[in-house]
Amino acid sequence: MRNLLDFLLKYINLIVFIILEGIALALLGTANNYHNSRFINGVRGMTIGIEKQLMKIRTYFVLREINQTLASENISLRHHIELLEKQEDKLFFFVSDTSKQQWYQYTLAEVIDNSVSRQKNYFTLNKGLRDGLSTEMAVTSGDAVAGVVVGCTDNFSVAMSLLNLDFRLSARIKSSGYFGSLSWDGRNDTQAILTEIPQHITINQGDTVETTGYSAIFPEGIMIGTISDFERTGSDFYKITVSLMTDFRKLHYVNVIGNLKKAEQVGLEKQFE
Amino acid sequence: MINNIFRFGLIFILLILFQVLLFNNINFSGYVNPYVYILFILLLPVELPAWLVLILSFITGLVVDFFSTSLGMHTASTVMAGFIRPYVLQVISPRDGYEPGSEPSMFTYGARWFFIYTTIMVLAHHLVLFYVEVFRLTDFFRTLFRVLLSSLFSIAFIMLIEHFRKRK
Repeated sequence: MRNLLDFLLKYINLIVFIILEGIALALLGTANNYHNSRFINGVRGMTIGIEKQLMKIRTYFVLREINQTLASENISLRHHIELLEKQEDKLFFFVSDTSKQQWYQYTLAEVIDNSVSRQKNYFTLNKGLRDGLSTEMAVTSGDAVAGVVVGCTDNFSVAMSLLNLDFRLSARIKSSGYFGSLSWDGRNDTQAILTEIPQHITINQGDTVETTGYSAIFPEGIMIGTISDFERTGSDFYKITVSLMTDFRKLHYVNVIGNLKKAEQVGLEKQFE
Repeated sequence: MINNIFRFGLIFILLILFQVLLFNNINFSGYVNPYVYILFILLLPVELPAWLVLILSFITGLVVDFFSTSLGMHTASTVMAGFIRPYVLQVISPRDGYEPGSEPSMFTYGARWFFIYTTIMVLAHHLVLFYVEVFRLTDFFRTLFRVLLSSLFSIAFIMLIEHFRKRK
């Protein structure tokens, strides 16, 4: 017993170190996983009050730019309305006609905390479950991809930014229709990498890259960016550098897009797995 | 004693505020992220038992983690910094040893000594922090570059803060 106590006293520092470092690494393992980011969310409740006050101040300085983006967005939306009204030749249709049902639900949210400097970036939105948000909803800024909601509380949500090593997105080249997988390599907050595009097709710098809608999270045809560079690697695929359309340093107002028919699609797909 | 607790409490709060409100928002090109809150661990009295330093380091890291959505990252690195602190102090101890009851500050042992002390501690802290963050060994040298560049800025800011603190 005495020996044991002596031993403990002698190595007390090392023991405390191992215990605390163990706790830290355990936290790291559980808290930074894609699906467990809800845990961070809970912790965030404590600091969110301060962040909100700070955001109010920051907002004031970028009002001018925000006005401009909102105005340009208004214009593009008006164009859409115009197009749709022309297409809609029938004024009456059955309520049960599924082709006329709403497919996607849009919510405007404000980014109240954001980072671009880490390898696994997340941002926080000021809306949550009470505003109809839930996990696995798409987040777009302007008309371009920004991230995916990964955790929600009643009033707040945390979204995984496209600038996150864990982020994967099914993307296609608009001109040819070939699709591949888009991810971020952690180097530059204005660029991402598109892989799995076979080398036999021709691509050009400046080609548009957009979402495919295969994942049931993002609607089809949302802009991601343009091809800024590509190289032929040793394998059969290109390695394409996409310069992103979203400026993640200026992320402010975002659209959260929920797929109302997601459960149906995923349920059907599951039967064949 | 009580006086000291208040003093370090104040230093702690000020440094955390500095870190969270100012330095966390620098985000310069993804390579420069100064972390100055580690100054709190540097300044703890020399005679403080090592296990207490470890626990205080743990709390410091945890608080910073809460504010930056990176639970565990800062904690792991501050605990590591707290662990090596006694050994660093031993290796670079001044010729006459440490005065009883003193704290390892620029004011007590001079700018040159404090610079060496800061450099070793900041490098150790940043090494753990950045490698734990990426958690893989691909792009080893790019991460190393980030460590060195951020350390440079952290050290500069710590020296600056300490310089102004000294006058008071």
